[in-house]
Amino acid sequence: MSITDTKPQLKGQNVATVNIFRYDPSTTDEAHYDSWQVPITGSMTVLDLLFYILEHEDGSLAFRYACREAICGSCALYVNGTYRLACKTQLKDLKATEINISPLPHLKVIKDLVVDMDPFWEKYERIRPYLITRDDLPEKEFLQDPADRLKMDDMVDCILCGACYSSCPQCWTDPEYLGPAALVKMNRFTVDTRDQANQERTKIFDNEHGVWRCHTIFNCVEACPKDINQTYSIQHLKRRAVARRFGGK
Amino acid sequence: MSSRRHLSELRGNSDLYPRNVRTGMYAWLFHRITGLALVFYIILHIFVIASVNFGGGSFDATMRLLTSKPFVLIDLTLVAVVLYHSLNGLRIIFFDLGYGIKNQRGIFWALMAVGTVIFVFAAVASSRLLFRA
Ligand code: SF4
Ligand code: FES
Repeated sequence: MSITDTKPQLKGQNVATVNIFRYDPSTTDEAHYDSWQVPITGSMTVLDLLFYILEHEDGSLAFRYACREAICGSCALYVNGTYRLACKTQLKDLKATEINISPLPHLKVIKDLVVDMDPFWEKYERIRPYLITRDDLPEKEFLQDPADRLKMDDMVDCILCGACYSSCPQCWTDPEYLGPAALVKMNRFTVDTRDQANQERTKIFDNEHGVWRCHTIFNCVEACPKDINQTYSIQHLKRRAVARRFGGK
Repeated sequence: MSSRRHLSELRGNSDLYPRNVRTGMYAWLFHRITGLALVFYIILHIFVIASVNFGGGSFDATMRLLTSKPFVLIDLTLVAVVLYHSLNGLRIIFFDLGYGIKNQRGIFWALMAVGTVIFVFAAVASSRLLFRA
């Protein structure tokens, strides 16, 4: 059975025009958009749409995904002028008959919708995104007051999709800037009562490529599919840095 | 079957296409632009005021020029630039103190409303110079 045999018929259905960014470094072809007519069903997501293209139209389309439930952060894309998780975005919420899908802007495109996330991961590694303790480890688990746990509530939802990093004008212009996601994680550990590396952590974020590169532009906050307020965390770190310089601690 | 479209045909999907630029980024961009304009203005201002060094007559002539109609309009532009830069500057200071971060758009538009009121006041006040016989 050829793939066209199972291809749904367009008749009597809602049809959307879908434009997808294409770039293949193995050919001499330059970057462009490919456009398809795709039948749309009720709860179809952008990711479903990409699968439709992959299965019925063009098997060479490259895109990332894993969990399909907004938890792995692989599928962040730029859809109709906004940053979106492909798996979490229902087409009907886009309220458009024409759907434009591009890779995350300002990152190097590897192929089609797949971008090079290495700069993002490198910054993430640099902030040491794990618990650092000095004292002997407790026998079972670290105990934490629910009230103290609540302080990190704003920051633990990050799924490392990279949307904020891609949206930030400071990241575009300073390749060394840690970026919103890494700084959110940094704040998560600085407010964590169990973490004991505040001195070292401050050195990592209290410099011109750290929090001081942030000019409160808020593109990250607008971009985040998990509704995290990155600027809140960054401003918190800035106040902490100032307090430390003036008051020690 | 797919049809091919050139990148420029879908420029509207680019993140820097004006419609896709968000409030906070506009606020930041204009803050930069007005900041540069004010640096330029302050240098100009120093030179203009320095005309007093060349005697009262020279200063009076400069002042006459500055109260002429085109200069009143330029002055009103200056009022707008100063208002924007100072009000948005306040907004940034709030954020640095930790206030209003979760309501940045609302604060921006509220301050712009305040700015508009002050600007209208300045425009009415200077209309005397603009519409004189
Ligand atoms: S903070 Fe939000 S936008 Fe940034 S990587 Fe995490 S989930 Fe994605
Ligand atoms: S596929 Fe995992 S977040 Fe979308």
